[in-house]
Amino acid sequence: MIMSKAVRPIISMKGIVKSFYVGTPNELEILHGLDISVPEGQFVSIVGASGSGKSTLMNIVGALDRQTSGQYVLDGIDITTIDDAELSGIRNKKIGFVFQTFNLIARTSALKNVELPMLYAGIPAKERTSRAKELLELVEMSERLKHMPNELSGGQKQRIAIARAMANDPAIILADEPTGALDSKTGRLVMDIFHKLHREQGKTIVLITHNPELAEETDRIITLSDGRIVSDRIVNGEVNGGLAEKS
Amino acid sequence: MNLFENVKLALASLRSNKMRAILTMLGIIIGISSVIMIATMGNILEKSITDTINSEGGSNLVAFQISMKQDRTRDYIMNTDYITEEMIQNVGERFADDIDAIAINSGSERATLRHNREELELMFYGVNPGFIRQSSTEVIAGRYINDKDVAKKGNICVISDKQAEKLYGGIKNAIGQRITVKMLGGSHDFTVVGIYEYKMTAMMSAMVNMMGEDWNNEVYIPYSTINKIYQVNDSTFYYYYAIVNDGVDPTRFCEEVKNYMNHRWYRSNDSVEIRYMTMESQMEMMSQVMGIVSMVISIIAGISLLVGGIGVMNIMLVSVTERTREIGVRKALGAPNGAIRSQFIIESVIICLIGGFIGIVFGILLGNIAGIIVGTTAPPSVGAIILAVSFAMAIGIFFGYYPANRAAKLDPIEALRYE
Repeated sequence: MIMSKAVRPIISMKGIVKSFYVGTPNELEILHGLDISVPEGQFVSIVGASGSGKSTLMNIVGALDRQTSGQYVLDGIDITTIDDAELSGIRNKKIGFVFQTFNLIARTSALKNVELPMLYAGIPAKERTSRAKELLELVEMSERLKHMPNELSGGQKQRIAIARAMANDPAIILADEPTGALDSKTGRLVMDIFHKLHREQGKTIVLITHNPELAEETDRIITLSDGRIVSDRIVNGEVNGGLAEKS
Repeated sequence: MNLFENVKLALASLRSNKMRAILTMLGIIIGISSVIMIATMGNILEKSITDTINSEGGSNLVAFQISMKQDRTRDYIMNTDYITEEMIQNVGERFADDIDAIAINSGSERATLRHNREELELMFYGVNPGFIRQSSTEVIAGRYINDKDVAKKGNICVISDKQAEKLYGGIKNAIGQRITVKMLGGSHDFTVVGIYEYKMTAMMSAMVNMMGEDWNNEVYIPYSTINKIYQVNDSTFYYYYAIVNDGVDPTRFCEEVKNYMNHRWYRSNDSVEIRYMTMESQMEMMSQVMGIVSMVISIIAGISLLVGGIGVMNIMLVSVTERTREIGVRKALGAPNGAIRSQFIIESVIICLIGGFIGIVFGILLGNIAGIIVGTTAPPSVGAIILAVSFAMAIGIFFGYYPANRAAKLDPIEALRYE
């Protein structure tokens, strides 16, 4: 354990419980008290079979949903205590979503799609455009600034989606099965971009996947089953932030 | 999220569904165009009425006529009830300071004139010298009927420039010519002593346009002459006009004359009295009628705008449902509820505004087409346009709010999962 490099956790979850009310008095508990701490700059994958609570966890990590109990601190902000309006601000500035189905806004050019989170952040037009262009360059999509989503291939769309996720320089990139809708070749390309962002920009990336091979590429694999963490192991690189292997 | 971006977004969204957008706008277009059309036609009518009034002696013109009393004992007018020449003369002398001229018309009679194997229809009016003053008619050659003509019961007439043109090929040749007409079964000769310029009022030209003929058939002869043809000795009148001097209050004058005449000649009459009419009162009546007409059309326009607004709301609800996923994505990217709400409200306002503008253009067009038929065009009412635009915006906001709010309140997780 190397403590000299004090890395603060970007994600700090303690005793996260999520339950849904499916008609009183029945209550369906999906997550049964998760403790997760992700240090800055880690590329972590969350794996699990369907029904394991992956998606529910992702929604909480992505500030789309709130836990029923427990504490979630994202980049120093306690998500538990803030209101809905602030929550959208958190999503805007702290989280970069990458979806399985790309979810680019239709009839909106690649450039405008990348600009969108900056638009909601209130960044002036000039700055937006120049940053969006930079980001598209980063994902090697500079040639297709004016293209509409329906004129692009899956891999191209996903690269634009990654550029969009990076728009407000978020604390974490949250990628939900980003290669799920792509063939292995383009999937590889997309994964390479994540690695590049991780390596070159030190981005904290949370990858949700059911593909063990992809998970093996990341620094750390958290395995969920029935709403509990069944394994949490470091697979690559340096162990940061005092994380012990827990299996 | 600024306004400009929202507007661009809304336009892009409308472009992708052109047909739907146009159909949605239709209600707004119909509503707004009828509002503008009414306003434009109102202007035209008003202008036309003002023209007519100005052309008929202006606001100085008043009329006195016999009318049935409220507490009458009979329902018909007897010969003894009519206004006599003496009464009019007496009024003229008594109110000489107020009166500029008195115009009387003892009747009109249809006459036919044969000209080049053509039968021309004419209308002979028996009038006094002052009669010319109650219209904007002007004598452009020869002279009008004078007191001597009336006293002599002379067979002279004043015809229009158009008639002179048709009968004699010009004004110059017409003076001194003799026309023979058939009237009341007999044949009568008249010498042309004057030519009046035929001026169409806006109202007249409207009727002429509708009938497709511009043949002015009025011929003026002394009222004593028409009485001679009627074979009556005394001139009696159902009504007469007076033109008051400038600065005389027509209403005050009319009240005085009415009271004077009623007191002097109709006090003991059981059923008939004198009443008066001023241009002012006529104008008021006209504007009342116009007010009712425009109110009715406004109600119809209002209903069509309401229906149009509901159509907009419907289409916005469809749009929100269709774009549920997009809304989810936007929310995931950090769009606050307010941004989503304003995006959809602006889209709805844009639909209404475009519809409104098209409606304004159509309204002005239709209003002026109606105006061309009537013979007068008027500029569109600026007030009505401002009203229409703000109304269209208000509809957009009002009917767009509910769908927009629904979009804003969508749960991002549900929205993202929406297929």
